[in-house]
Amino acid sequence: MMRRSPWLWVAGFFAYAFLYAPLVVVIAYSFNDSRLNAEWVGFTLDWYRKLFRNEEMLLAARNSLLIALVASAVSTVLGTMAGFALYRYRTRLLPVLVLAPIAIPEILMGVSLLLFFVLVGIALGLVSIMLSHIAFCIGFVAIVVRARLEGLDESLTEAARDLGATPWQAFRLVTLPLIMPGVVAGALMAFTLSIDDFVITFFTSGVGATTLPLQIYTMVKISVTPEVNAVSTLLMVLTLALILIASRLSPGSLRGR
Amino acid sequence: MRPGWHMRAYKWLIGGPPLLYLLVFFAAPVLIMVVASFRFPGEFGGLSPLVYEDETGRHLDLTLENYQRFFADLLYLSLFFKSLLYAAITVLACLLLSYPLALLISRSPKKYRDVMVLLVILPFWSNFLIRIYAWILILGPQSVFVGALNGVLAWFGAGPVTLLYTPFAVVLGMVYVHLPFMVLPLYANLEKHDPALLDAAQDLGANAWERFWRVTFPLSLPGVYAGAALVFIPAFGMFAIPDLLGGTEGIMIGNVIKQQFLDSRDWPFGSVLSMVLTVMAVLLAALAALYARRSRQ
Amino acid sequence: MKKLLLALALLTIGWPALAQKNELRIYHWNDYIADETVARFEKQCKCKVVMDYFGDNEELVAKLAAGAKGYDIYVPTMNYVPGMAKAGWLQPLDHSKLPNFKNVLPQYLDTEFDPGNRYSAPYAMSITMLGYNDKKIRELGVPVDSWATIFDPKVLEKLKGRITVLDSQNELMAAALKYLGYSVNDRDPKHWEEAKKVILKAKPYWAAFMAQGYIKELASGNIWLVHGYSVDIFQADQGAQEAKQNFRVRFGLPKEGAVLALDAMVIAKNAPRPDLAHQFINFMMDGRNAAELTNIIGSLNPNKAALQHIKPEIKSIKAIFPDEAMAAKLEMLKDMNARERRQMSRIWTEIKAR
Repeated sequence: MMRRSPWLWVAGFFAYAFLYAPLVVVIAYSFNDSRLNAEWVGFTLDWYRKLFRNEEMLLAARNSLLIALVASAVSTVLGTMAGFALYRYRTRLLPVLVLAPIAIPEILMGVSLLLFFVLVGIALGLVSIMLSHIAFCIGFVAIVVRARLEGLDESLTEAARDLGATPWQAFRLVTLPLIMPGVVAGALMAFTLSIDDFVITFFTSGVGATTLPLQIYTMVKISVTPEVNAVSTLLMVLTLALILIASRLSPGSLRGR
Repeated sequence: MRPGWHMRAYKWLIGGPPLLYLLVFFAAPVLIMVVASFRFPGEFGGLSPLVYEDETGRHLDLTLENYQRFFADLLYLSLFFKSLLYAAITVLACLLLSYPLALLISRSPKKYRDVMVLLVILPFWSNFLIRIYAWILILGPQSVFVGALNGVLAWFGAGPVTLLYTPFAVVLGMVYVHLPFMVLPLYANLEKHDPALLDAAQDLGANAWERFWRVTFPLSLPGVYAGAALVFIPAFGMFAIPDLLGGTEGIMIGNVIKQQFLDSRDWPFGSVLSMVLTVMAVLLAALAALYARRSRQ
Repeated sequence: MKKLLLALALLTIGWPALAQKNELRIYHWNDYIADETVARFEKQCKCKVVMDYFGDNEELVAKLAAGAKGYDIYVPTMNYVPGMAKAGWLQPLDHSKLPNFKNVLPQYLDTEFDPGNRYSAPYAMSITMLGYNDKKIRELGVPVDSWATIFDPKVLEKLKGRITVLDSQNELMAAALKYLGYSVNDRDPKHWEEAKKVILKAKPYWAAFMAQGYIKELASGNIWLVHGYSVDIFQADQGAQEAKQNFRVRFGLPKEGAVLALDAMVIAKNAPRPDLAHQFINFMMDGRNAAELTNIIGSLNPNKAALQHIKPEIKSIKAIFPDEAMAAKLEMLKDMNARERRQMSRIWTEIKAR
């Protein structure tokens, strides 16, 4: 039986409205026939046309997507492991190392990563950005996964082991499906953090490895054109499509059932 | 029970890789800046040389001056407390807004849940700056929303309000950008609750509110704590939202830290402020976790 | 997981070869050069121009101080050049490859920041001044030729909540110092204290400290008067015209004097292609190419050969082409030393926190 009182519907709807109010503005102005998106002038597709001719911006969008996909994939695996270790074992160092990257000011992390990459001779580029993003995403995944594990029925895993499953099989076939919503939530957060990061990316990027937030941030310093709204809208649609296609290809892959 | 060495092997197998990664790509780099908090700023920028030479030999050029400067001046501490307050309000507002949403999603039919979760996070794949500029339009004096609000207020005889560039705008912006980090952990937790528990509570005569307050909410506490941590910690050091929406009143400690690394080119002092911020945030999170564990036992 | 890898593979296909040799790498401000200019240069040098962007001189300095490399050209503001040269991040220019130096107005050459232009070649300029909504300001009858407009509570009374100032410690303190009759480069702690008091008294009337958003706020009519850069005010006016607003955005140059910022091209110490870098610098000092800068972003131009190519409607704006009497009152900011920066930082934090 689904317990969804009308009040829950109202509150939920309000939250969605709050989330989407600015998004409506962002999308609307990508069709606005004025260079400064301040006043509504009229409908146009010019900004999308212009966008498809702007190689710099498209390349930056592709870089962003690539970095976010790799960073969220790797940090989801590492973060899930960390979440497990936090839940199952007593460790002293790991909890601090998981929390600290979330707590530390981004600008300090950016500067120190840049100093570090220069020191050990890692070239600045897409890879250095990915390595940095993974470092600050792990904690977010670990915390969600750990919260999901809390209070989970351990007897199921035990039972699988008693029936002769190897630890890996028990994890793969019993535990993982149970914690999947936590893992997916963590992965979504990691993806979101990575695709929108400015500060750390600014410091760890190298020649020709620009991401969309860098591009947009410097653009709005002098003049902000609705091209930026157009590319934001496009990126959102593209990401959504990627995820929907991936989940359609294997039913339930989002939740691992 | 499996033998102890076996357990330890699993512990390292599972915990080792993330630990190693964070040691190399987080702890090692940050250590450079921990040391930097004891160094002097360079004349033009960056750091002054770590080692200096004079007639008596080579010396490490380290100092406690940066820490003294922090503790001797209430200005910086007061900004820490202001930021703490803003972050706490943000967490509460996020929780109030997120809980019903997470509950609604977790109690919807399975086939809709994924889509509903995606809808929560979708707005955050557009660009941060562009979303905030959209809020500036919505909260600005010429917007339809503010016009309608002031119309209603005038009807009640209350004066027109200004929303943009106020502390209210800062809190609203902070709640907005952190909302998914509350909704997702809450959902991940609520989704696993067994509806049979609620049926049992109902059979025992509990009304809707009692069922929520005595069954659902206590069970969801790990999710609440996780969400609170994921919102509080980043909100504590926030600088972009106060910069963009805060007007002349909104400055937080994160802005001062950013200022040290950019305008003032004072990396050592920026490191000191960062260290204090990080230690405070991690300690508060650890305390909360400890309290959470106590209250559950 | 497999799907993810597939998606990644798809994304990676057609990735441009990163190690393309024949390219010039410029670390620049965004939208600070016309696309046509770049295309013309690429045709001339038969090379590719790769551009990355920074949003502020301080961001450039922070990145270089941490050791970032790989670019051929940076475009910092002139007052950062001495520090960058001293820090060893720049290489001297080869003037024999830069005949177009002859086009630059003499007052912008051989400045105290870079004697003999050993490291830097002038690019474009802007003045920090007032920008305003002409309709509103006319209605209110507020003067726009003095810093009193942003600092004097009597004037500010009429503008409360509709005015923004720059979110920059150097620029705002400079304006306050000018208002008090001091030099923008005054280092006397007593004068700084006075300037702080002026700012704190005016602060309650301001809507915000703003580094960038004021362009839109001016064009949309939310904000009526700003303390900002002339290039931004120019952009705001263009925006207002495009949106067919019933007002224009105009320039107000305070009679007390103001800050002039001269941006310059410099070559990085370990530039991979110093030959292309020199070619580019010489190209940008050509009159026609330099003029394009002024025509698209409304910057002041240090290039005398550019004058004939500049649109007449821009040439008639006195704030962009100030007369000699006004030009004499403009000052360039000088960089502070580490101790002075600390003092200024303390004052600025207090200003922002109060």
